Amino acid sequence: MKPAPTLLSTAFLHPAGQALPGPLLALRKQRGAALVDMPLPTRKTENWKYSSKYLKLTDEMATSLPTDGKTGSALAVPGYKVVFINGVMVPEASEYPDLNNILIQRFGDLSDAEASELAERLDTTLDTKAVQFAGLNSARFEDGLVIRLKPDAVLDQPLFIIHEVTADASGSAFPRIFVDAGRNSQITLVEEYISSGQEAVFVNSVTEFTLAEGANVTNIRLSMGGENVQHIGATGVTQQRSSRFQSHCVGFGGPLRRHDLQVRLEGEGAECKLNGVVVTQGTQHYDNHTTIEHIAAHCDSEETYRNIAADKSHAVFNGRIHIHQDAQKSNANMNNKNLLLSTGAEIDTKPELEIYADDVKCAHGATIGQLDEESLFYLVSRGISRREANVLLTMAFINELVAQIPVDAVKDTVQTRLNQFFDQAFQEA
Amino acid sequence: MLSIKNLHASVGGKEILKGINLEIKAGEVHAIMGPNGSGKSTLSQVLAGNDAFEVTSGEVTLNGDNLLEKETEERAREGVFLAFQYPVEIPGVSNLQFMRTSVNAMRHHRGEPEMNAAEFMKLAREVSKQVDLDPAFLKRGVNEGFSGGEKKRNEIMQALLLQPKLAILDETDSGLDIDALKVVSDGVNALRAKDRAILMVTHYQRLLDHIVPDYVHVLADGKIVKSGGRELALELEARGYAWLGIKDEATAASSAN
Ligand SMILES: Nc1ncnc2c1ncn2[C@@H]1O[C@H](COP(=O)(O)OP(=O)(O)O)[C@@H](O)[C@H]1O
Ligand SMILES: [Mg+2]
Repeated sequence: MKPAPTLLSTAFLHPAGQALPGPLLALRKQRGAALVDMPLPTRKTENWKYSSKYLKLTDEMATSLPTDGKTGSALAVPGYKVVFINGVMVPEASEYPDLNNILIQRFGDLSDAEASELAERLDTTLDTKAVQFAGLNSARFEDGLVIRLKPDAVLDQPLFIIHEVTADASGSAFPRIFVDAGRNSQITLVEEYISSGQEAVFVNSVTEFTLAEGANVTNIRLSMGGENVQHIGATGVTQQRSSRFQSHCVGFGGPLRRHDLQVRLEGEGAECKLNGVVVTQGTQHYDNHTTIEHIAAHCDSEETYRNIAADKSHAVFNGRIHIHQDAQKSNANMNNKNLLLSTGAEIDTKPELEIYADDVKCAHGATIGQLDEESLFYLVSRGISRREANVLLTMAFINELVAQIPVDAVKDTVQTRLNQFFDQAFQEA
Repeated sequence: MLSIKNLHASVGGKEILKGINLEIKAGEVHAIMGPNGSGKSTLSQVLAGNDAFEVTSGEVTLNGDNLLEKETEERAREGVFLAFQYPVEIPGVSNLQFMRTSVNAMRHHRGEPEMNAAEFMKLAREVSKQVDLDPAFLKRGVNEGFSGGEKKRNEIMQALLLQPKLAILDETDSGLDIDALKVVSDGVNALRAKDRAILMVTHYQRLLDHIVPDYVHVLADGKIVKSGGRELALELEARGYAWLGIKDEATAASSAN
């Protein structure tokens, strides 16, 4: 057998699409140069320990998926919509307002001055040493969306970004979003990752948020790609004084799913709330790595993640909270609960706390368990079928997080996908 | 209606029921009394189909059907109801959703249309009044943070909703104050019907002041050692289990203190 490659194939270092302003092309080139000899993660790579075996990149996947003439699945959404197909925005399929105080622009439409300002800011929310694939996105993006909210601007409806890959051939897509939320601005951004077609594809996405003082950003992220999609995504967030960031990540497993979420609380009084739900079945995989950096004093973070793994699937959670020396009066709460629906499933969870300030309140907990037999018996003793009892108890495990998703239509989408999951996971005896 | 013949059951290899024989006819109320650890809950759980307990021999039929070969949910749909001694707390499943799912499972089994949320809410509010449980309890997680007495009333509420053929009440009287005991026994008396059998399991006879049984059985060490009419309960009240030559650890322990 041929030994697995240890370096990222150079085939991945050739971006397509030159229709970008000069400063972004220059950035891309510079990031690409830095990736020559990029090692691929292995079992020995600490932050890929449990997941490296699922990453299977081929040279065919290095090619950018074609974007011409694709219209996508035309989902109806209750709000504004931007459609990206194979990493490139489709203006004909998108509907969003043209406002003075909220600028929604694709990268290709930026002036050189705007592009150069953006180029300065891309990647600054993420620790690209730890999240190397974010660097790959920066070397490869062909398009992207930048959303700039001026001070006090409030987007009156959620903005949905539909990221679809059309996997009619093997290839990859590199969608990129940058959100600059000005002072006291507000936005709810929904990202839905979906796919059509059956060929093996690779999606490498990055979304960044910078929150100025008092900004209030809600991000819902649904990862719903197919069984042929390997997806490595990263979300980076920086928060200034008294800003608030709320994240709801709901992920359904696949051959490889990786999401790194990094939040930097840089201004006093900033708050973040990170909710996550992952369900995996069959031989699926999902890996969430989150990092919260408490840099300024008086910041609050609250993180609640739930994993449910059925069959022979594998879910991974790594939650790191880093409280810097000056971050006195930090409040950090991290809770991760895991439910194994089968003895063949695997869940690896690791909360990591690093505290360098002395006056902080920190709590963390992680548990792994199965459905409770006594509860099951109680339910079936009332005539409820085993299948329904399993569903009720499994839903009970994540109800609270699903209920907190602030957009009803998204909640419905999630429930529909969960019902499909239950149909597979709990077949009627 | 219910016929138990020479029932033996064990848990973890330890035999707990050692040959139970019992016949209950429709319309009758039977009380099973016995000291702690005598096997009352084991009998109740075995009848409901808890497979944590292994039936090693014997026969149980409900209206002639072999009960032991049926799954728990089938037994329930055919009319077996167990009010648990220790009702389970299930956070995340609302009491209302739980009860509606249960009622609809039964209706589905009988070929009746399901009740929608509004219809069920109306019914649930009425029945909750009957057991003096604030309708706010319907919104909470199943038994979540309920007091002992609230849990018992919630069990009786389910019995009233489900209208079983055979209601097994496992120490539904324990942990109740006088008022709650009255509410619960009114609920049980409301369940009494010509076509329904009730098996009341109790450690104390005080429930029997409110619900007059047709028969009383004394269970000791996995066997029914004495059966009689309701006067047997009074006799036990007056003379204790020792009168029957039964060691009652709870009584012994309390008199030792
Ligand atoms: N799950 C179990 N595992 C081991 N022993 C059990 C279990 N359940 C009951 N027992 C034992 O069986 C005996 C009868 O218990 P139980 O039926 O609960 O009695 P009662 O309800 O009359 O107090 C006791 O000795 C008890 O310790
Ligand atoms: Mg008992």
